[in-house]
Amino acid sequence: MTHFQLEKLPEINSKYSMFSTFTENAECDAEFLFSAKDNLTSSEFETCAGSDILRGYRPVFDATPISRMKEKGGFLVGKTNMDEFGFGTFSTHTTFGVPKNPFDTNRSCGGSSGGAACAAAVFDGHVALGVSTGGSIVCPASFCGVYGLSPSYGRVSRYGLIDYGNSLDKIGLLSHDAYDLGKYLPVISGKDPKDITSCVQPDLKTGKGKIESVAVPKEAVEGSGISEGVMKAFEKSLETLRSMSVDVEYVSMPSLKYAIPAYYVIATSEASTNLARFGGMRYGQQDGDLSLGFNEYFTDFRSKYFGEEAKRRILLGTFTRMVGYADKYYNKALRVRMAVINEYKKQFERFDSVVTPTMPFVAPRFDEISEMSALDAYKADFLTVPPNLTGMPHLSVPCGYSDGMPAGLMFTSDHWNDSSLTHMAEKWSDSFESVHAEVSL
Amino acid sequence: MKIGLEIHVQLPTASKMFCSCPTTGDDVPNSRICPVCLGMPGSKPAINRNAMILGLKLAKLFGCKIPETTWFSRKTYFYPDLCKHYQTTQYDMPVGEGGVFYLGNKPIGITRVHLEEDPGKTKRVGEDSSLVDYNRSGIPLAEIVTEPDLSTPAEARDFLSELLKEIRDVIDLPDNGERSVRCDCNISVAKERCEVKNVTGLKNVENCLKFEMVRQMKTIKSGGKIKRETRRYDEETKTTTSARSKETEADYGYIGEPDLGIYHIRKMADEIVLKESPLKKAERFQREYGLNAKTAKQLASAPSGLSDLFESLCGECDVHTAVKWTEGVISANWKSVVSEDVVPDIVETVGKYHAGKITDTECSIKLKTIMTGSEADSAEENCDSDLTSLVNEIIDANPSLVEDYRGNDKAANSIIGTVIKQTGGKYSSAEVVDAVRKSIELRL
Repeated sequence: MTHFQLEKLPEINSKYSMFSTFTENAECDAEFLFSAKDNLTSSEFETCAGSDILRGYRPVFDATPISRMKEKGGFLVGKTNMDEFGFGTFSTHTTFGVPKNPFDTNRSCGGSSGGAACAAAVFDGHVALGVSTGGSIVCPASFCGVYGLSPSYGRVSRYGLIDYGNSLDKIGLLSHDAYDLGKYLPVISGKDPKDITSCVQPDLKTGKGKIESVAVPKEAVEGSGISEGVMKAFEKSLETLRSMSVDVEYVSMPSLKYAIPAYYVIATSEASTNLARFGGMRYGQQDGDLSLGFNEYFTDFRSKYFGEEAKRRILLGTFTRMVGYADKYYNKALRVRMAVINEYKKQFERFDSVVTPTMPFVAPRFDEISEMSALDAYKADFLTVPPNLTGMPHLSVPCGYSDGMPAGLMFTSDHWNDSSLTHMAEKWSDSFESVHAEVSL
Repeated sequence: MKIGLEIHVQLPTASKMFCSCPTTGDDVPNSRICPVCLGMPGSKPAINRNAMILGLKLAKLFGCKIPETTWFSRKTYFYPDLCKHYQTTQYDMPVGEGGVFYLGNKPIGITRVHLEEDPGKTKRVGEDSSLVDYNRSGIPLAEIVTEPDLSTPAEARDFLSELLKEIRDVIDLPDNGERSVRCDCNISVAKERCEVKNVTGLKNVENCLKFEMVRQMKTIKSGGKIKRETRRYDEETKTTTSARSKETEADYGYIGEPDLGIYHIRKMADEIVLKESPLKKAERFQREYGLNAKTAKQLASAPSGLSDLFESLCGECDVHTAVKWTEGVISANWKSVVSEDVVPDIVETVGKYHAGKITDTECSIKLKTIMTGSEADSAEENCDSDLTSLVNEIIDANPSLVEDYRGNDKAANSIIGTVIKQTGGKYSSAEVVDAVRKSIELRL
């Protein structure tokens, strides 16, 4: 985002709804401008994570990645719209504003970091902080035709992130400029004693640093319902990779198909405990009926303010961790996660990265989305969920266009090999001419 | 009758379990809180290493099996004093399992020792509202769960009393009410058990169990059935009342706490050297010094400095003498000792007594002086030359003495007595005798 565009922010936002809240400051002399997904706490803006239950909540502290960006001279422009608590693939599960795709405003930006991808696509030189649990960075990056990086789990401190699934959540970057990923990843990453899962990470230089060979899992691309347009763009991308002297080979990764059920069990189990704290007592909305007893109060309150998808995931997650069911679901899902990790590790003995299309289709229209069942929507994440389940870093780059809508190519590398991905993003952008969405006002 | 206890001990760490808020200090409600112990969205727990060490010390005290790795879990339940609506506790891999504690010769099984956070405190205000104070939220707790091996309320009380003595010593738990110890008491007279939550104090534990015992027996006698339930104890009326029907574990929906990760605790546990507990010390005293059980126990459960002193004395004299002085004058005056610096003086004095250099009375007077400090301070100012000048003063006042001495050296005895009295036992009789003789002889 240039400082010039800051002036036009209200106007642009009224068209695209990428921000839930943003600065009124039209002038600033910061070194660079950035935005943050609205589940990252910020002391100067309300932080609601797309949920009505948190409406009006102004945290007392900045999330670590936000304060690190500020320390580097960044100015936080605003908070980007998202699915409630990250629960969604199209950023439609929210009442704060559904972000519209810059390529076609009748279409979704993807989710759950939809607002972040939209801002990254629309504003030049703007870097957006996104969050991914099951694909929430690469999905919208793919739909909006921008670069999106979801780093290794534990690379970026989650202090200040309003949790969805703590063992899955990763904070990453989205930008129109591939070089921003390598530029800002060192800024937001690093050990933070406030999030001890960030304290075991090795140096960013870990690994080979570049990708010279990739594996394409047959199970992911053959007969899996990938649209023709996306498949075409994908095949062309493999050609491009070969022309960049990257070895491409088809492999078999049979356990990938178990990733989706395992992911939804783990993510919802964790989410249902994370959401337990929202009871209308200390933050966010507090207008429940005080004449009720405590149990009735929070039941009433939560029924009123949680969205439908949040309720669905609380119910699912509560069920899967009950005694008698935990072994059947939650504990089994943990074992599946290990199996999927091992499947990837096996490929990384021979290849530097695994590639697939990011999403099986281009950004759908809102009317198409309204006809999808919850299960249809969950299934749309079958390509992005596996790397997220493993905690491995992954990257989406724009790789082609189908009916004028962008398609994405996803690279997944081994744990801590984040720099091989930022390097690939740069190399890719040197050889692929991406289309900049035209923003008309 | 079977009785089992779940004992919650607030661990004496400076900061809370998962944040850096102080555990003690300002009692103004909600003055020692932060985003972490308030469970604010976005906050994350960071473990207090010291709490882990104290938990491991307790596990070691009971000889528990300590696992290679341990982790924390989320126990979900909705209650206003629990900020996150889940308690961070340990479920499937506690710091210790399968230990034992001997009450006399009777082994009481310790099922497990685990760590968890204390919730806040609710305070009833008026008829239909409550206030919550989160100062307590996040204070580290160790929960010690026993097997139902206790058979009477009195035995439960004795057990708790002995156990606490040991714990206080091993983890330096102060006994001034600053850290709370709360018990959940499980009791069954027949098959089904009831749990009485949150009972504080030895007497209350015993009384609550007594009441429950009688209640359950009466219920059965009159043909009723004991319902499995959670009950509440009223300290005023010494009765228990039904709180809610017992929730089964299932309702808590435990899952691992991903934000805290997995801890490899074996090495940490191996490196911990336990301070000797009073019980173990008593056993050793019996073994090493041949003390009888009663004396050994008395000495071992004395303040640790005193029992250490006893051992030092044993190096200077025979055990009998060491016991005599430790249990006598020394323990009587132990409270007035302000600094450990006096210990060598005490040892030296008893040593002199043992060597026959000073009499029983002299030793006793000297020990008192050393230990009570104030007289010792004034005596400190008199050095050897003061002794000489005091002696000279007395001789000056009684010039005839010198002549008497010439005829019979026992004439000096009257002065010697006076000097010893006036110097309050600071100098040994040998020293005084020496000084008096020297001064008189100089005048001859």
